[in-house]
Amino acid sequence: MASTEEWLPLSMTVDRRLVCSRVRPRHLLSDVLREHAGATGVHIGCGQGICGACTVVIDGVPARACLMLAVQAEGCRIQTVASLAELEGNPVGPEGLTRLQTAFRQHHALQCGFCTPGLLVSTAVFLARNAAPSRDAIVDHLNGHLCRCTGYANIIAAIESLAR
Amino acid sequence: MTGSATVFGQRRRRREDAPLLTGTARYLADLIEPDMAVMRVIRSNHAHARIACIDFATVARQPECLGFLSAAELPPDLGRLPAFDLCESSAAIHHPVLAGDVARYAGQPIAIVLARDAYTAEDLAELVRVDYEPLAPVMTVDDALRPHAPRLYPELGSNVVHETTQLVGDPEFAFAAAATGVGAVIIEQDFAFPRVMASSMEMRGAIARLEADTGRYLVHSSTQVPQVLRDELARITGLPRERLRVIAPAIGGGFGAKESIYPEEVLVLLAAMRFDLTVCWTEDRVESVTATVHGREEHLRIRAAVHENGIVTALEADCLADIGGAYALLSNTPGAAIATLRGPYRIANFRSRTRSVVTNKTPLNVYRGAGYPQATLAMERILDVAAARLGLDRAEIRRRNLLQPEEFPVDRGVDYPGCPNIVFDSGDFPACLESTLEAIDYTNFATRRAAATTGNALGIGLSFVVEMTASGPAEPARLRLRADGRLELLSGITPIGQGSETTILQILAAHLRVSEDALVFRAGDTDLAPDAPGTFASRGATMGGNAAVAAGTAFVTAARALLAELREVPLEHIVWDGGLLVEQNGHNQPMTLQALCELARSAGIDPLERLDAHAVFPDSGIAHASGCHAAVVSVDTATGIVHVLDYAVTHDCGRVANPLLVDGQIMGGVVQGLGTALFEALRYDANGLPLARGFAEYVLPTAATAPRFALRHIETPSPLNPLGMKGAGEAGCTGAAAAIVNAVADALAPFGVELGCGPFSPDHVHELLYKDPSPC
Repeated sequence: MASTEEWLPLSMTVDRRLVCSRVRPRHLLSDVLREHAGATGVHIGCGQGICGACTVVIDGVPARACLMLAVQAEGCRIQTVASLAELEGNPVGPEGLTRLQTAFRQHHALQCGFCTPGLLVSTAVFLARNAAPSRDAIVDHLNGHLCRCTGYANIIAAIESLAR
Repeated sequence: MTGSATVFGQRRRRREDAPLLTGTARYLADLIEPDMAVMRVIRSNHAHARIACIDFATVARQPECLGFLSAAELPPDLGRLPAFDLCESSAAIHHPVLAGDVARYAGQPIAIVLARDAYTAEDLAELVRVDYEPLAPVMTVDDALRPHAPRLYPELGSNVVHETTQLVGDPEFAFAAAATGVGAVIIEQDFAFPRVMASSMEMRGAIARLEADTGRYLVHSSTQVPQVLRDELARITGLPRERLRVIAPAIGGGFGAKESIYPEEVLVLLAAMRFDLTVCWTEDRVESVTATVHGREEHLRIRAAVHENGIVTALEADCLADIGGAYALLSNTPGAAIATLRGPYRIANFRSRTRSVVTNKTPLNVYRGAGYPQATLAMERILDVAAARLGLDRAEIRRRNLLQPEEFPVDRGVDYPGCPNIVFDSGDFPACLESTLEAIDYTNFATRRAAATTGNALGIGLSFVVEMTASGPAEPARLRLRADGRLELLSGITPIGQGSETTILQILAAHLRVSEDALVFRAGDTDLAPDAPGTFASRGATMGGNAAVAAGTAFVTAARALLAELREVPLEHIVWDGGLLVEQNGHNQPMTLQALCELARSAGIDPLERLDAHAVFPDSGIAHASGCHAAVVSVDTATGIVHVLDYAVTHDCGRVANPLLVDGQIMGGVVQGLGTALFEALRYDANGLPLARGFAEYVLPTAATAPRFALRHIETPSPLNPLGMKGAGEAGCTGAAAAIVNAVADALAPFGVELGCGPFSPDHVHELLYKDPSPC
């Protein structure tokens, strides 16, 4: 059964660390990041590309890790929530949190925290592209993520607080 | 260490945020190691079928197969899954862990296979051949009640598995009076609340392993109720309770769906025992649609007698709950609906009949609010319809029916599974109503509506919620001094994302007048809190907080007693002052706990053994939280899209320990309720298979749906607990569907639309506006 599928070498950079591994062609990037690269901040909320919890940044572009095969990431530079400071272009503050993380905490923009890492990653890229987005633009951006706890209002407020 | 009592009530930022924000929190799936065996569950792909044969011949030949189980391989004396709310009038339904002869819903577990990784496990599952003999599925309550309907449980002779009635006053007389009274109206209306999914972002999972050093089985599960799970695993497997430890790691949302005892939690343990492996299982989203309990589905037929002055003189309800294939809970959600149906309104005469009906769908269980949202929707729609019929203002008809503050406590004359007599303990309903009307600018709404641009029909809707919170059983807590000098609270409240740690420690810090930094919170582990009910029914902050306070009091007494003993002075000479022990009438300096420890050790006493206090906060009765909601919606009459523009809530959960977190609960709950009002409904095809495979077909609210919030609090302390608290976790969800549906009805009223049943998705609203309304 298993012998029909070959193992392929894979090397990629995950949060500034070179990860060399062997994967099968069908292995999802989300699984490989979690299991081979120890990036358990990549959360699997649906595995269908809808919820956005597994969002990572691949060569500067946010993407759903659950919608990519790991072999497609050969040679890529992948940033997860562990690279948030780098994505924001700001150092980590005294409490070990970035500016964006601090805003989320201040505004109580997370509850169970499961959707949070993916949300932070894509928001960091969003703000890097547009430092002063309107509320509508923020909402538009957030429509790519599902959060079941907060009702979104505090997430919008947290991002707005940085946009001003 | 010294702190202040005023920390109670402050908008404290959460202690638990840092690991969640950095992605370092450990959820169930993050505990999986490469050497664990991965379990894949083979599930029925028929809604109703006899299982003729399960053939493992092919899979057994695969070298990758580490084990397989079906009902035939399980021990014959294995216990069944529990049903927690059986009443005298309930038929006892206990599902087997794996379906043996008959599968009663698509998704019911039939067999398992084990492999080294999830991909291979899924391949192996494909090789298990199950021969079904399909039976006619029963997919709706109407079908289930037909005289010759197939019976899900033929031995019971009926698809009705629970039936209760309630009677208050003399509804017969009141209806007769209304039928003949001048100006009185009798309103009859049916309500259908759709089947929905709690949809926590983290799916379920479990891991079981034998601990080599202790000989115990350690089970990790994404559960809201680790202690209950431990007890049920012991009962089902026959293992002694002492040989089981259950830990709930970080939980990515629960909302009630993680408080059932699930077959997979038993199966990982059984597989670990049988094959001597560490066995893990995580749900996938397609699986979750049928494997995790559903919520809400309920049909309410309401009849109301309303006097011409707007006073509702009698209410009659026929409630049918579609509980699916049934396990865990049979009567809870319709029971909750009926117990709270009259909400804050006096309604002196009441009669109800409640039936739980089994169908070939995934079992129904509690989901945030249990039966309250259904009840609130029905009651609040009836009031709006009555107001329209009588030409009364919709706020005014509510005002006239509200119970008044001086009437508390109010015996409602109804019961609820586990509670023989519902008594409203506290509240100020008129103040809640007036506050919300002000917050939503109710009086000026007509002007706002008139100013709306063409193509945007505005509407305003009200709802009022009274819900049972902070329920028992008794809640334990333990407070002990750690070697590092901090005080460690061992709580039975398993956090599921609401901020239990922050809230409960805030309460404890205020009680002890110490800094929160001097405190440590630990929970979610049966070794830390061996006996505790768990996290559900808006009970965490109130029950956990009061238990923490009781443990704090016991700890202070223990510390005072120790110093009194060491100094040979009477106990009453030693007082606690914000973490310091002060000897009155003495010359000694105030003493820190650390100094007390040194003193004790020098006297040959182990201080850590003495400074370890257990307490139990008793089940003191259900505290009733209340709140008035108001929604302003805009219906785009070209597309049928409903936007909730503004949402106001005045909530009364007694004394508020942390307004930041309570507001978070309300807003999150409101948007979940918004989802059930506007988008969410899990539908099935004629063969009994669900039409959704995840969030592409089952649409959840996104950020674009979030309204502007105006949140207020009124604090009427509950007399049932020393802190005067009531629960808040379900409040937003409970009132939102009713307020939003009332607002949609108001917006569409000028179009002569008969509203019918939700959810009011764009296509449905468009159809209401432009086609003949279809029955629900």
